[in-house]
Amino acid sequence: MNKELEHSFVEQLQKHQNIVHKVCRLYTNNADAHNDLFQEITIQLWKAYPKFRGESKFSTWMYRVGLNTAITLYRKSKRRITTQEFENVQFKIKAEEYDDTEEQQLKLLYNAVHQLNDIEKALVFLYLEDKDYREISETLGITEVNARVKMNRVKKKLKTILNP
Amino acid sequence: MDELELLKKDWQKGAADFKSYSDTDIYPMLHKKSSSIVKTLFYISICELVFWLLASVLPYALSPSIREKLDKSYENPLFIAISIFSYAVILVFIYLLFRSYKGISSTDSSKKLMESILRTRKIIKFYVIFNLTLFFLSIPLSLYFEYQDNPEFHQQIVEASTTQMLVLYAVAAITAGIIILILWLFYRLIYGILLKRLNRNYKELKKLEV
Repeated sequence: MNKELEHSFVEQLQKHQNIVHKVCRLYTNNADAHNDLFQEITIQLWKAYPKFRGESKFSTWMYRVGLNTAITLYRKSKRRITTQEFENVQFKIKAEEYDDTEEQQLKLLYNAVHQLNDIEKALVFLYLEDKDYREISETLGITEVNARVKMNRVKKKLKTILNP
Repeated sequence: MDELELLKKDWQKGAADFKSYSDTDIYPMLHKKSSSIVKTLFYISICELVFWLLASVLPYALSPSIREKLDKSYENPLFIAISIFSYAVILVFIYLLFRSYKGISSTDSSKKLMESILRTRKIIKFYVIFNLTLFFLSIPLSLYFEYQDNPEFHQQIVEASTTQMLVLYAVAAITAGIIILILWLFYRLIYGILLKRLNRNYKELKKLEV
């Protein structure tokens, strides 16, 4: 029974692993920390998998467990690394799309997002993943109104960071 | 906000940037050890349990003189009642703790998950407070038992002046106070470090509700 469960889990995780990678990208700043967090999220997903009944999509379920692990469960403190490292690892742009001003702007934006606190990052993450406010509020456990209010504050905060 | 839209565009096409793990990479990951805060909390609670159990059992098991004294104390119904009560509390604590751990689920909303963890921590805290209280009470109680059962001590107390009695009370209270303070600081330190980030994030979520 376990082998079968394991197989279906690995298959799904492999298919949707980018969600986990994206959580790691936001909450860590270097490759080691990224891999560590990926590992922990995988364990938490696997532990919770027997209870996954398929009421929601596997990917939706992953957002929740992934963010919960990054915000609450994960205990290592390796994540505080300099911004420099973050830029080197995380900022890549494809050659054919190279645009100097856009690249510069994105660089600053990723840096700004990185300065947000854990909860603000979660909001930005779900926003970037195109989640609506209902899903954001359900994932974080706050009301929809509060999710909107908070998102507006995050946008303002980002503006302040970008234009001090 | 235009900037955030720009970021979104880049974010959504950025999928190819990540290293793609294959099945064979993922299988071993499932069986690695977790370093989650819940696991650490669980180990700490087991340590608490074992520590306080040993603290009550070891003196009895190791020292014949203490055993003799305790055996004698068991003739006193009040002492028996306190012992039964404290063991009952341990059982209730184990049950509550077990139920609380079962209630922690990574598939809950962030806020609910944090609340379950904080509730578990509260149960451990009550258990510690209970033990510290018992410890604090045991000092006057043991003096009382000693007074009842030890004729020599009884005589000394009867003959003691008010000042001597006050000194005795003060020494007992201060000793107990210092030990409790040290234990309390120790707990604050453990949980303070472990739950610092959780508390901060929980506050951040709660802040919105005002």
